[in-house]
Amino acid sequence: MSNKVVITGMNMITSLGLDLRSGWENMVAGKNGVKRITLFDPVGLQTQVAAQVPDTFEEYAAGHVKKRMAEQTTRVTKMGYVCAKDAVQQAAIDFESFNRSRCAVILGVVSTANSSAEKGTTPKNTILKSMSNAMSAWISLEYKLRGPNFTVTSACASSAYALGIAYDRIISGAADLVITGGADSIINREEIEGFNELYALSVNPDPEKACCPFSRDRDGFVVGEGAGIMILESEASALRRKAKIFAELAGYAMTSEAYNIMAPMKDGQGISETLEAALQHAGVSPVEVDYINAHGTSTTLNDKYETMAIKKVFGERAYKIPVSSTKSMIGHTVGAAGVIEAVVTVMSLVNDIVTPTIHLDIPDPELDLDFVPGRSRKHVIRCALSNSFAFGGHNATLVFKKYV
Amino acid sequence: MGQITANTRAEVKEIVYSFFSEECETDISRIHDDTNIISDLEGDSLMFLELIEIFKKKYNLSIELKTIAKYIVKHPVETIGQLIDTQMLMIEHENNIVNL
Repeated sequence: MSNKVVITGMNMITSLGLDLRSGWENMVAGKNGVKRITLFDPVGLQTQVAAQVPDTFEEYAAGHVKKRMAEQTTRVTKMGYVCAKDAVQQAAIDFESFNRSRCAVILGVVSTANSSAEKGTTPKNTILKSMSNAMSAWISLEYKLRGPNFTVTSACASSAYALGIAYDRIISGAADLVITGGADSIINREEIEGFNELYALSVNPDPEKACCPFSRDRDGFVVGEGAGIMILESEASALRRKAKIFAELAGYAMTSEAYNIMAPMKDGQGISETLEAALQHAGVSPVEVDYINAHGTSTTLNDKYETMAIKKVFGERAYKIPVSSTKSMIGHTVGAAGVIEAVVTVMSLVNDIVTPTIHLDIPDPELDLDFVPGRSRKHVIRCALSNSFAFGGHNATLVFKKYV
Repeated sequence: MGQITANTRAEVKEIVYSFFSEECETDISRIHDDTNIISDLEGDSLMFLELIEIFKKKYNLSIELKTIAKYIVKHPVETIGQLIDTQMLMIEHENNIVNL
């Protein structure tokens, strides 16, 4: 029997909901998760809007996180931990039936966001709160998993890289199950100021218009926050325990552009190479791809080059493939973006629904693909791609297929 | 040296039990002298340091953390009872604990 890598559990926490179901339903409804910043007072900043996780998260987390851990972790670490606990529960995993040394935790994390926006910040527990491996460590502790637990950092592609590495652990036979994903937030004064210096963020103060990937008026990305978790498992393990299988992670590509610390390679060359490498790795032909969950940041260069790359790889078929940006609804969740968008991609596969690119009222004439403007739609999907590209030239494309 | 009275051990025990009950969100009736701090209570090593600070203040002890660390290397603390014994020795011997 071939041993595929399958998804047996997943979850997400975003500005559109604290669990998979509510987040997905709000995305299908094309809701906007961007609002004026309230996590701190943004007075004086060029950027005034962000996609914050609902305030009810603190209360929700309190039901999952013990007192001691709560004092030693940031809000972002709690997001990752809570997201993982719900995903494990949903996947009906009994770790007593696993060899725990063959279960790993591999997360993509840029930082734990131990910033000035962190409520109750005190010098106490600074190290425990700040260490970027905290999230994977706490999850490993929760389930007493004895396989490797570690963190991958590749900026906005971090959690997509984590999924790729998790895939390798399973396909190589080194692991039966990997809890993978990530969490992130850069909604704090220091980082927003920093991204404003780089002219990377939207300065549109209107939360109903600021995040508008592929549109003529796009002027930068909108910061978001959240967490996403996928339970990746060997097909043999999933079948043994009669687990529900959502989809197959058929392959992936990770590449480095080695071009510029910020800008993508001209004309999307690095992006197209990543797409081609991912298809080849998964053994998938371009004609089999029915949906692309774009990186779609709402920045001038990304959206232009991602569009060019899709046209280069798919030719005329590019015009027949729905391409949408989850970020239009939940902002850019940075280190968590790869996995959250992978979760959305898998939900699209499972439900044969493509979620929309909202705020695409005035298209950019140069960007002429089917970006699914405004409304979700039914669409039969056999195979779907999820793209992640990052400052530093870190590119990743994940290839998901219906499980058959 | 700290003043040891007939009630000191009971006092230390009550503080230790209450501390772990609160920090580990565990009913105090489930804590016993042979309870393992990490595997039974999911406690952590920082708790020991926090308790030392509590006892230093309460009994006005003159004892350095590095001294305690040297003692602990030779006499590991894993259970609540061992922790109470160590706190008692700290109160009784302060920095001289290292010579025991």
